[in-house]
Amino acid sequence: MKFDTVIIGGGLAGLACGIRLQNRGFKCAIVSAGQSALHFSSGSFDLLNELPDGTAVANPEEAVRSLDPKHPYAKIGDQFAFYAQEAKQLLLDSGVEVQGDSKQNSYRITPMGTTMPTWLTLADFTCLKNATDVIGKKILLVNIAGFLDFNTKFIADAFEGNGAACKIVSVSLPEFEKLRQSPTEMRSANIARILENENTLHALASRLNEQASSCDVIALPAVFGLSSPAPLQTLKRQIPTPVCIVPTMPPSVPGIRTQKRLRRVFELAGGFYMLGDSATTAETGDGKVYAISTVNHGDIALRANHFVLASGSFFSNGLWASMDGVREPVFGADVDFDPNRNNWYNASVFEPQRYRTFGVATDERFRIKINGKVQDNVYAIGSVLSGFDALQEGCGAGVSLLTALYVADQLKK
Amino acid sequence: MKNDNNENNEFDVIIIGGGITGAGTARDCALRGMKVLLIERFDFAAGATGRNHGLLHSGARYAVTDKESAAECIKENMILRKIARHCVEENDGLFISLPEDDINFQSKFVESCHAAGIDAQIIDPAEARRMEPSVNPTLIGAVKVPDGSVDPFRLTLANIIDAKAHGAKILVYHEVVELLKEQDRVMGVTVVDHKSKETRKYYAPLTINAAGIWGHGIAEMAGIKIGMFPSKGSLLIFGHRVNNIVLNRCRKPADADILVPGDTICLIGTTSSHVGFDEVDNMRVTPEEVDLLLREGQKLAPALATTRILRAYAGVRPLVAADDDPSGRNISRGIVLLDHETRDGVAGFATITGGKLMTYRLMAEWATDLACKKLGIEKPCVTMTEPLPGSRSEEPMPTGKTYDLSNRIKRSTVGRHGDMASRIASSNELDNSLVCECEDVSVGEVQYALKELDVHNMEDLRHRTRVGMGTCQGELCACRAAGLLGEAHNCAHQAKADLAKFLNERWKGMYPIAWGEALRESEYTQWVYSGICGMNKMEEE
Repeated sequence: MKFDTVIIGGGLAGLACGIRLQNRGFKCAIVSAGQSALHFSSGSFDLLNELPDGTAVANPEEAVRSLDPKHPYAKIGDQFAFYAQEAKQLLLDSGVEVQGDSKQNSYRITPMGTTMPTWLTLADFTCLKNATDVIGKKILLVNIAGFLDFNTKFIADAFEGNGAACKIVSVSLPEFEKLRQSPTEMRSANIARILENENTLHALASRLNEQASSCDVIALPAVFGLSSPAPLQTLKRQIPTPVCIVPTMPPSVPGIRTQKRLRRVFELAGGFYMLGDSATTAETGDGKVYAISTVNHGDIALRANHFVLASGSFFSNGLWASMDGVREPVFGADVDFDPNRNNWYNASVFEPQRYRTFGVATDERFRIKINGKVQDNVYAIGSVLSGFDALQEGCGAGVSLLTALYVADQLKK
Repeated sequence: MKNDNNENNEFDVIIIGGGITGAGTARDCALRGMKVLLIERFDFAAGATGRNHGLLHSGARYAVTDKESAAECIKENMILRKIARHCVEENDGLFISLPEDDINFQSKFVESCHAAGIDAQIIDPAEARRMEPSVNPTLIGAVKVPDGSVDPFRLTLANIIDAKAHGAKILVYHEVVELLKEQDRVMGVTVVDHKSKETRKYYAPLTINAAGIWGHGIAEMAGIKIGMFPSKGSLLIFGHRVNNIVLNRCRKPADADILVPGDTICLIGTTSSHVGFDEVDNMRVTPEEVDLLLREGQKLAPALATTRILRAYAGVRPLVAADDDPSGRNISRGIVLLDHETRDGVAGFATITGGKLMTYRLMAEWATDLACKKLGIEKPCVTMTEPLPGSRSEEPMPTGKTYDLSNRIKRSTVGRHGDMASRIASSNELDNSLVCECEDVSVGEVQYALKELDVHNMEDLRHRTRVGMGTCQGELCACRAAGLLGEAHNCAHQAKADLAKFLNERWKGMYPIAWGEALRESEYTQWVYSGICGMNKMEEE
């Protein structure tokens, strides 16, 4: 099989790159092993919340200038603001409604009820201007009875710390009884499936209306809309009180919807998405890659002019650590890591972790190297890259989106 | 004089330490009619008790070098199988000889086992491979012995439950800060409550120091020196059971030569190195120790090379030097009971130490016999025949595979709590919904533990139920369990802080082995809690 570009990894980076390339007239294939980080996301996209030294960032466009030259953002350089805008536009054009500004971080609400700085937030959720803002003065905080991945007490504790008053209620509807009979079924995605039904939404709305009389906002878990924003819109139409959605513990229903939406847009643009397949080996030579093999396609190699490695970090198997090193399994690309395992970790789990900065080494145009030799037609994007700690800096989604679009624009037909 | 005495602060005996020795002594004393107070500065089994192999020794390991310990072990082994059957797995053990080992050691080993009363049988290497397919196939000899596994958390808790049932008062998260002395007699203790920060005094004619390695410091409060040598032992836990029979090396005891299956996991250990008293509260497993454990472990069962490691941890053995040997060269692993009245001229004070998890009951018996003598009580010990709570039912323990989830949950709870499982609510859907999917822990089980088993925080809950002990090491169940904890104690704020602390504790056991699948899992957990939930180090306080 022959493509202009083969992208390895179907998460946020791979899909953004694929959509951009299809729109530029490239014929692309995405090899995707399955779930991506989007399935577990917060419902927001972070650009840059903190510098590596711990300094808080208010304006990412300004702050990127002080980053180390090895940071992916430093390689994008002066075009950072442009690509941030392009990334937001790509999401909007794909029907992923987001709000936010790359000149000014806003705040998202976490499943713990606390706030975190962020860049773009899905329209389902509330986007706050300041860290201590509240969604209302008198909040009706609602959970579905038996759903353990949404903790109203934790959330109320945080909201009340910022001066709001919370009334907690737990709603049970007959439609959930079947789920509850099985001990493992009360999880966000299963609940969302039941809440696609109009009658169930109507029943929920009337239960909420009974309780909401003295409240100025109703807060609900993010269990609406696996495939479209419609269930939430339907619910909101039936409730006069403003409704605010709060993220749950994973899986993330809005994240799953975003993933599905981006994949659909890629396919509608003519892209070829190979779900449940994974790249195994590459055919290389003369500083170039000619083809890759995958599990499902056996000896039918995928040939392309360009390859984009968007396979994610350790969690996604884009990087693999052993006792004495870190490697990239598909191309055997050169990896930046510290050979001394003693330096990989900080004993406190909430401190920056050195291992998270490990990743594929690239040149200034994000081309990978094999045994020190730059590969002319292979690029790496997103969390497989080295040079940043996505968790500490709060820049995972931003690096994925911006490097994806930057690299897509580098490729020539 | 002590003019603040009253019924609430006067006891017959005060026991310091909530490890297995303290718990066993509290039970024995309570069964013999004493009014007992047990004081533990953290949770039950927080020291060496909860940080070892969980091996139900047959005694074979000590047969050649220490016949007395070996004989004690096999006797206690047989007793525990009866009185603590819900804590014990009767797995048997193999002592294997590899090509690098001296096969001539085997006959001496078997002879010594028989002399100590241990049923040791030489079996054919082919037979050993059939019995335990994970065993190193190059073995040249094998001896079968009655080893097994024992869950130290359950065992400690069962002793505590029975001590309480017989009137003992148990204080966890209370620390002894002073021994109250009048002339040459210990009259009681001053205790600080870690929760309320309040200080109280308790009085008893006898105080028993059962604080393990920390007993060194307790004795010093009375001006007494015990020649203790903290000995660090590190272990690795693997994500599933590679073996079903305990695997040992048939040679003189050395590092990393025991692989014990227990519950859903197996454990390789231990290393052995002296550490300073300043380190005993903060044990860390080094990369060198991890490498050694893996290298040696693979010689017992080669499959360990490709088995996921869950975590690494270390405990401190309270080894005691003989009184006539202050250099510590002649260190015994046997039981040490010190009557400080005869040894040091300090009345009302005794120390029970040394020994092993295996011999806790005997240690308790010795200490309680001494207490009886001091208090003039004439009541015989019954702990060698009286079953512990959880092991009183005649019903067989559940075994075998089941694919029905509600049966699976039931089997897990009975496995963990024995006949006490009947106290776990399972009548409605919420009771049965799963908090921890790796270990089948239900909401009902968590609530039972919160209500009845002295759970103050997430770590306590983990020890009572196995929440967060499975392959995911607490990815999502930690948050669910913290929610239930917050509800039970009606303090969400504290529960969140506790969750942060719990995650940090889990990480401390994971980072020494964080590569491969363990690193994948760790990265995901950090992503969920630091990234999505925005938890940070400030939340721990």
